[in-house]
Amino acid sequence: MGAEIDVHDLVQAAAAGDSHGWDGLVERFGALVWSTARAWGLSLEEGADVTQTTWLRLAEQLGVLRDGHNRIGVWLASTARQESLRQLGTRVADHADPGQKEPAAPPAATATPPEPEVMLWRVLRDLPEHCRRLLRVLSAVPPPDQEELAAALDLKVADVPAARTACLEEFRHRMASIGIKADAQDS
Amino acid sequence: MVNPADAQLLDELRRAASQFDPPPPAVIEAARSSFTWRTIDAELAALVFDSGVDRPVTALRGGEGPRLMTFSSSGLDIEVEVANLGSRRQLVGQLVPPQAADIDVRHAAGTTTIQADQLGRFRADAIGSGPVSLRCRLAATPSGPPVVTEWVPL
Repeated sequence: MGAEIDVHDLVQAAAAGDSHGWDGLVERFGALVWSTARAWGLSLEEGADVTQTTWLRLAEQLGVLRDGHNRIGVWLASTARQESLRQLGTRVADHADPGQKEPAAPPAATATPPEPEVMLWRVLRDLPEHCRRLLRVLSAVPPPDQEELAAALDLKVADVPAARTACLEEFRHRMASIGIKADAQDS
Repeated sequence: MVNPADAQLLDELRRAASQFDPPPPAVIEAARSSFTWRTIDAELAALVFDSGVDRPVTALRGGEGPRLMTFSSSGLDIEVEVANLGSRRQLVGQLVPPQAADIDVRHAAGTTTIQADQLGRFRADAIGSGPVSLRCRLAATPSGPPVVTEWVPL
């Protein structure tokens, strides 16, 4: 709840022309916007364009959003998703290469056993699309709330808890199947 | 609400995301500097058509033609054709209703100002790829609010 009040203050400050308010919004939601673009499969370059477009649109509409919309995180996540889908659409139209598989590949295998984080990232990459996407957005720091997550993924808010539980369960199952006990690695 | 095992797993995922796919510093810097592009008291023209995504999939097969976009505000439509010239973009456009205007093409490298003629036709060559927005200052209403398009990556 406290964070929400902070966001409201940041929006008010930014709308009044205070760049510190704006920087605070970037700090709070920068990873959410980026993670949303990457979750939808955009390359680093495409993700950079979509992320900047999303922030430019917020700058343009801050005055309108200030009064009518106190959930800037939801607006940002939704805009980042829509622009990511637009980017994917133009990629097909340009018949460009389909881009690298996202999220980014962890370092290639070496003779030494990979770090637990590397294994975990590989398992995430190989999840079914909807779970890979959900967990990629959910791993933004600071974490999105349920409404932001729903907006980033185009889910109903009411469906988020069950989807999250199912995807974490699938993830844990796959980790276990390659011999990693996900809940006790860093003890 | 979130059980402890899930919370711990999510912590590990967040550590991995921070390690392997954090927002690049240049992306965060671009987000910060986006604030300087905001315009006060402009009328926003929304993107209402984009052939890059709105045309039927069957039309994509032979899709060598330019991308067509229409932005719409209450008093002015802005139609733009975008052609790719390598990493550069060429914009050819039309104001509807036709009229003269100064148009600021706002893009990553700065602002390029061009003129729409009496028939509302305009053209900008060699715009860098990335987000672009047009700000139109209409000759008929020089003291009125400019019309700015939504930002779109080109």
